[in-house]
Amino acid sequence: MTKKLLMANEAFAHAALEAGVRVVAGYPGTPSSELIETVARLHAEGRAHGVHVEWSTNEKAALELLAGASYAGARCLFTCKQVGLNVASDALMSLNYVGVKGGLVLYVADDPGPISSQTEQDTRRFGDFAKVPVLDPSTPEEGFAMIKEAFELSERHGTPVIVRPTTRICHASTFFDVQDETHARPLPEEGFQKNPKWIIFPRRAYEAHDEIFNRLRMIQDEACKDGLSQFNTVIEVAPGMRFDEAARLTGSQFLARKDAEGEYSDVLEWEGTPRFDFETQDGPHVGIVAGGVSAAYVREALRHLERNQAEEGLQLPAYRFLQIGTPFPFPKELVRAFLDGLDCVVVYEELDNVLEDGLLRTMGEHGIRCQIMGSSCGLRYRGENSTKEILGSLKSFMAAFADADMAHYAHCPGDGSPLVENVDALLPVRPPVLCAGCPHRGSFYAVKRALGKREAVPCGDIGCYTLGNAAPLNAVDTCLCMGAGITMAQGFSVVESDKKQVAFVGDSTFFASGLTGIANAVYNGHDITVCVLDNATTAMTGAQPHPGTGVTLMGERRKPIDIEGVLRALGVECIVGADPLDLQGSIDAAAEAIGFEGPSAIIFRSPCVQLKKPDPVLHVKQELCTGCKKCITEIGCPAIGFSAEAQGARSKDRGQAFIDPGQCNGCGLCVQVCPFAAIQKEADHD
Amino acid sequence: MINILLVGVGGQGTVLAAKVLAQAAQSKGWQVRTAETIGMAQRGGSVVSHVRMGSEGEPVHAPLVAPETADAIIAFEPGEAVRSLPYLKKTGAVVTAKAVVQPVTAALSTKPYRTEDVIEALGAALAESGGKLEVVDAAPFLEELGNRRALNTVLLASAVARGAVPLTVDELKEAIRACVKPRFIEMNLAAVDAVADR
Repeated sequence: MTKKLLMANEAFAHAALEAGVRVVAGYPGTPSSELIETVARLHAEGRAHGVHVEWSTNEKAALELLAGASYAGARCLFTCKQVGLNVASDALMSLNYVGVKGGLVLYVADDPGPISSQTEQDTRRFGDFAKVPVLDPSTPEEGFAMIKEAFELSERHGTPVIVRPTTRICHASTFFDVQDETHARPLPEEGFQKNPKWIIFPRRAYEAHDEIFNRLRMIQDEACKDGLSQFNTVIEVAPGMRFDEAARLTGSQFLARKDAEGEYSDVLEWEGTPRFDFETQDGPHVGIVAGGVSAAYVREALRHLERNQAEEGLQLPAYRFLQIGTPFPFPKELVRAFLDGLDCVVVYEELDNVLEDGLLRTMGEHGIRCQIMGSSCGLRYRGENSTKEILGSLKSFMAAFADADMAHYAHCPGDGSPLVENVDALLPVRPPVLCAGCPHRGSFYAVKRALGKREAVPCGDIGCYTLGNAAPLNAVDTCLCMGAGITMAQGFSVVESDKKQVAFVGDSTFFASGLTGIANAVYNGHDITVCVLDNATTAMTGAQPHPGTGVTLMGERRKPIDIEGVLRALGVECIVGADPLDLQGSIDAAAEAIGFEGPSAIIFRSPCVQLKKPDPVLHVKQELCTGCKKCITEIGCPAIGFSAEAQGARSKDRGQAFIDPGQCNGCGLCVQVCPFAAIQKEADHD
Repeated sequence: MINILLVGVGGQGTVLAAKVLAQAAQSKGWQVRTAETIGMAQRGGSVVSHVRMGSEGEPVHAPLVAPETADAIIAFEPGEAVRSLPYLKKTGAVVTAKAVVQPVTAALSTKPYRTEDVIEALGAALAESGGKLEVVDAAPFLEELGNRRALNTVLLASAVARGAVPLTVDELKEAIRACVKPRFIEMNLAAVDAVADR
C-alpha cells in the first residue's frame, strides 16, 4: 500500500485494478480519459498484471468487445464521457437484456456546465431509460468505493452497472491508499459456456425484460438496507448541532427495518448514538436531499451557516440530511423512512431533477404529504451548483420552512461588491484557441484561400479543430457530433448545390465515426471535399493514440492504418496530400480537391504541436514591420500580439506586431503570411 | 481551512503547482482536496486550479473554493488575477506574475491590453480592500534558470517567501521533490532558491 495524491480518474483506475478487472476499453473524452491512461501506465510499469487495456475505435466498439470478454467471465471496465454513451447505446440497451457474466462496469462521466462537452445530458436518466443501475459519487473517495462495489453488484445480478461521476469529481484530487501491484481475477475454468441466453431473440427479450424488472427491485432493496446502502447516507442533526459532528456520531448509517411480514416498518433505526431525546426535543420537520458533488457543497454551506449563526448567538434548527448515491434504482423505502415527520424537503442535484422526481414518485405511491423544493422552485436545471448558491438557497429555506432566525445573517460569501468594477472593459475575453504552431491553423487558412470568393459551407467536427470557428479564421460553420461534419456536408450539398461543401475531420474522429459518412458520399455521389486534419493523435483529450498511429496502449507498434488507403478503398477518386505548414502547397492541393466534381479529399499531415520539439522562435523585425496586422487578422496565432506603442521605420504610428517567445513554436506559417518579410528566424534577426 | 487559487492561461502549469501545494499540505497532516481545469480551456483559455487544506484538522468536503474565501490567489498572468478577485478573502493575498499574456482577442481588437493598466487596477483594488499584493517580475528568474517552464515554481516560491501560503521554503522543496518528474527536480529547486535568495 502506498499513499498517493491522485486525481479521481487515476484513483478509479486503481480501484478497478484492485477489483481484479481484466479488460478495460473505451474512447477518450473529457472528463473521463485519465482512467484508461492510468491503467495503461500501471500496466506499462509492470504493476497491473493480467490486464488488457485499449483505446477502441469508438465507444460502441469498446462496449461490444467488453460484452464478449464478460460472457467469458472476465471483469470488464468501459469508459467514456456522457455523449460517448450515446454511441455505445445500441450495444448497451441489448446487453442489459442479455445480461453479463464477469462484472461489467460502465464508467460514464457527466459534464455539468458543460465545461468541455456538447450537451448536458444526465447519465442517471440514461440508466433509468436503459434500466441499468447507476451509482453517483459525491467525492473521489466514495467513487473509489463505488467502482469496487459496482463489480460485485454487476456479478450478483448479472447486470451491467454504470458509475457516473461528474467533472468536479473526475478532476478533483486527494490522497488515496492504493495497492502497489494488482492481478486480474483469474478467468473461470469453464470459460465461455454456450447458452441460448446469449442470443437476443424477441421471445428471449420478453423473458429478459421480466428478469430486469425483478433484479432492479432486488437492487432497490439492497440500496435501502444492504451493502449498497453505504452510499445512501442519512444524518439527523439536532438543533444547534454541528453537521460534521452529527455525521461522525451517527456513523453515517441509516437502517430501514422490515417487520415480520417482510414489509418495511415506519420505525427508523439509527446506528450509533441516537440524535434526539424525544422526551424533551422535537424531531426535525425539514430535510435536505443531495446527490453527487452537490452533497459536498451542502456540507460546506452548512458549515458556513453554522458559523454565522454561532457568531450571532443563534443556532440552526433540527433537520435531516439524505445523500443519495444510488439514484437508479431509486431507494424508495429508505426515502419513505427519511420523509417520516418532514413537512418540507429541499433537493440539490445537477442536470436533470432525477432525485426530485424519485421523491415525488415515492410520496405519490405512499400518500405522503410533504413539500418538495427543487427545480420547479427555481433551483438549477442546468449548469453547475456551487457552495455559494446552495448557501444562499439553504439560508432562505431554513428561514422560511424551519423558522430559523436568519435576520442577522451577516454576509454570504460572494455577496460582496466586486473589487474591480467592469472587469470586461479592462480585460479581453480569453476563450480557448488553437495552440501557437497548431498545424490545423494552416489547414483552415489554406482551404479558405483556395475557396477564395466561392460560397461554401465549412462543416466542422468534434476535436481541437472545432476551435477553427473562432475569429479571425471563422473557418467552421457547423459542429454537431462525432463524424457529423462529413455527413452534414452531404445534406447541404443536396439542397444547396450551388455552394461548395467542405468537411473538416480529425484523424481520430475519422476512424471513430467518419468511415460510414465517406461510404455514403461515394455511394450517393455527393460533391463534397473532406479535409482530414491528420496530426497523428487524439489531441483535444490529451494525445491518445488511435488506429492511424499504430501505437496501442499495450505498448505494441502495429502498421498504422493508412487514411489515404482507406479513402481510396472506399472509392474516393480525388485524394491529395499537403503539409499544412507549407502554405502555397496547401492552397494548391486544396484548390485541386475543391475543383474536383464528386467526393474528394485532402489529407493535411503535420504532427500536433504538443507532441514535437518546437522549432526556433520567430521574431518580428522592427525595421520591416509596417503594422498592417495581416499576421494577426489572417491567422490569429496566440503567440502574435500587437503593441500600439512600438514604432519602426515603416510602421509610422500604426504600432507593430510582436511575437511572444514564450509561446512561439516556430511553425513558420506567419512568415508565409507576412507580405513584407518582416517575420524571420532568430538566426536572421539582427 | 486554507483556500488557494492558482490561475493563469492554459499551458502555464497551474496543475503541477496545485499538486505541489497539496503534497506539502498532506505532509503537515492536513486533509487536502484540489480541482483542476482540464479539457478545452487548456488550449490557451483561462484556467483555475483550486487547493483546499484542512489546516485546523477539519474535513474538506468540496473540491472548489467558494467566492470571497481564498486566502491566496497565485496568478501566472495578472489579468487572470483580476478575473479571479471575486474569490479573494478581504484580507487575502494576491501573488501575480507581472507580464500580461495577450490573447488573440486582444491582438485583434483596437483596445490595448497592457501590463501597466492591469497591475494598476490590481493595486487599486487591493489597496481598497486591505488585501496584499505581490507583483513578481519572473523574467529575470526565468532567464537565469534558462527555462520558461519554471514560471509556476517561481510564483509558488514567491508566495511562500511572502508568507501568502502557510508553508516554509523547506516544505515547498520537499513537496517539489515528491511531485516533479526526476529530471526537472533540480531545475525547480534552483528556481525556489533563486527566489528565496532574492
